[in-house]
Amino acid sequence: MQVYSHKSFLIVDDFSDFRSSARSMLRELGVRDVDTADSGEQALRMCAQKRYDFILQDFHLGDGKKNGQQVLEDLILDKLISHECVFLMVTAETSQAIVLSALEHEPDAYLTKPFNRIGLAQRLEKLVQRKTLLKPILQALDRGRPAEVLAACAELCKKDPRFAPLCLRYRADALRDLNRYDELEKFLSTIISSRATPWAYAALGSLLYKRNQISQAQGVYEQALKAFPMMPGLYDGLAEVLVAQGESKRAQGVLEEAVRLSPLAVRRQMMLGKLALNNDDFDTSSKAYRHAVNQGQSSRYKDPESNLGLVQALMNKNAGNGLDARTRVEINTVLSEVAKENVEDQGLQVRARLMKAASLQQAGDAETAAKLTEQAMARLDKMEQFFSVEAALVVATQLQQLGQESAGTSILKNCVETYGDDPKVMQSVARLTDDPAVLGAVTEAVDLNRQGVRSYQAGQLSEALGQFRRALTLQPKNISIALNTAQALLRIGGEAPPPAIMDECRACLTCVAGIPESDSRYDRYRKLHIRAFGA
Amino acid sequence: MNQDNQGLDFSTVIASTVHDMKNSLSALTQAHGQWLARLPQDLRGSSEQGVLEYEVTHLNGMLVQLLGLYKLGVNQLPMCPDYHELDDFIEAQLAAQQNLLQHRDILASWRIETASPLGFFDRELVSSVVANVLNNAMRYAGHTLLITVSDEDEQLLLSINDDGPGFPARMLERQHDYVQGIEAQSGSTGLGLYFAARIAALHERNGVKGRIEIANGGALGGGLFRLYLP
Repeated sequence: MQVYSHKSFLIVDDFSDFRSSARSMLRELGVRDVDTADSGEQALRMCAQKRYDFILQDFHLGDGKKNGQQVLEDLILDKLISHECVFLMVTAETSQAIVLSALEHEPDAYLTKPFNRIGLAQRLEKLVQRKTLLKPILQALDRGRPAEVLAACAELCKKDPRFAPLCLRYRADALRDLNRYDELEKFLSTIISSRATPWAYAALGSLLYKRNQISQAQGVYEQALKAFPMMPGLYDGLAEVLVAQGESKRAQGVLEEAVRLSPLAVRRQMMLGKLALNNDDFDTSSKAYRHAVNQGQSSRYKDPESNLGLVQALMNKNAGNGLDARTRVEINTVLSEVAKENVEDQGLQVRARLMKAASLQQAGDAETAAKLTEQAMARLDKMEQFFSVEAALVVATQLQQLGQESAGTSILKNCVETYGDDPKVMQSVARLTDDPAVLGAVTEAVDLNRQGVRSYQAGQLSEALGQFRRALTLQPKNISIALNTAQALLRIGGEAPPPAIMDECRACLTCVAGIPESDSRYDRYRKLHIRAFGA
Repeated sequence: MNQDNQGLDFSTVIASTVHDMKNSLSALTQAHGQWLARLPQDLRGSSEQGVLEYEVTHLNGMLVQLLGLYKLGVNQLPMCPDYHELDDFIEAQLAAQQNLLQHRDILASWRIETASPLGFFDRELVSSVVANVLNNAMRYAGHTLLITVSDEDEQLLLSINDDGPGFPARMLERQHDYVQGIEAQSGSTGLGLYFAARIAALHERNGVKGRIEIANGGALGGGLFRLYLP
């Protein structure tokens, strides 16, 4: 029998009876080091202080508190537990817990209540055996070395091929982390044709989506949902694919299905809120955003965009009808939260104030609305950060509606300067203005940038650099052009670029330092920044 | 799926009620266990204790089955298969009922004869079937139970044998009716077989669905329950 006398245990449950009963069972098994926590928040604090070998985590920890799944996600993402730690999810109803959970982070095992000491001992013993078998893989995971994970999997499969299926998921994750996409696609397809699992479908769907094979990804998700119609994570994937194909109404329907199965998911509710808002379904949107805001209180995925989205949905829902007292209170509460919790974020401060001004105007208080608009505009002048496209469009619209035509136009002008190489952005901007000074500003720069990309791809680097430089002179804040120029400079500069090139490269990047983190090019910006400025 | 938001969503009602009932049951057994630990040794193994153990396990099994049957009815029973170590799975089933086996003085053993140490199935669902079958077998067994796992025609075959009097002839003859739910109202065994058959059939590979079978004889001469998983 396993010896537990030198192992540390943590029991997390909101019921003290359960904690003391589990503790006495563990004592009977020879465990000496047992800590307990009555909430996920406390468990996280304890795991930050001490490394536990075993965690017995109750799934339901009360409404408005983190549930077991959220605790597990936090522990893994914040690296508070080792992969060697045995994590047992304790539930009264395991099937339901699986539906409510995410496919990305699964516990080592579920333990269904009621259980007895013998049952607990059996599970622990077996899990220790499995972790021992997988130890080299788990250690490589702790080191964050996917190549070593693959090697350890290969070693185990050679030593005892009968256990190869236990490695499938580790191998798939490692291939993904190593960007070995062709191999991964083949690997996942083989798994699905032999023994399909929800996680394998989700991994293949997201891989195809990432590689822009949208219709294939859709096929995978649809096939997956036929086999596993109770897995909400697969609906999320399908919705994402449908959005990419412009089918936002169908995507909304799919997400509504997922929310019915598993309503406790901040990101899912937020996505639904956003889709429904775009689909002019303000009832669904406000409900979903409200869930996202409420659930966000105990979640790492709390996002001020949900608060702003909720206010937008509430205003649109009541468009032309003013705002009743209850709605005004709700708007007030969610917006103050944004302002209070994001003191450093200039963009959010401006947006929260303008949103508030817009709601006051709708409610009929033009005077206070005007005051707030002025405050927001004063902050806007000092702002260095760029708005995301979506935020810029909302802010510009609101400024127009609040009678600040020229401020609105200037926001649109900045938006075009920054993002104008994207025809979709130009279409959206054109819906808000027909000012030729805004719309015509980018044509030449965008043409030059396009020529530059072509030259760069053909290997004509100095020609490409010339074109990017001319484009950048016309539009110094365009993210694409600035990043392209910086990249061309570094490429030409080679291993040790001369100081003049480095300076020019740094200057390009500094011009677009306001790039929002939500931008899809943010990673590319960070990488270039590290090369130009050091880490 | 039910789009009607008026009134109660019975699925949620039953799920949350069963959830609470199981929590109560856990609290009850835990309190009882701790109380028992304080009793003198000679008072611990009383026959009332055996009744309590049995009924709690039985009650728990029925709750799981009730919820499962309801979810099957509305197509909401989640199915999430994966690879599981067979010895771990069987040991866990027996460990859950260990106290009861002791009280009834039943010797339970198991054998795994498969080529692979792993099986591919939904652990939670199959576990609820095995728990009910074991509970039932224990009621009729003399002194022994045997669980075997083997390969048959590329399917996983899980057999539960007992040394009791076996299933009534009528039940064996009409097992297809039970499986189809035609006789499901005739008591808990019938319902259990229906539930088991539905869960077996959720496991499907290349068009072959899982199934169950009952017979008499088997390795121990009594009742024999077979679960085939493709």
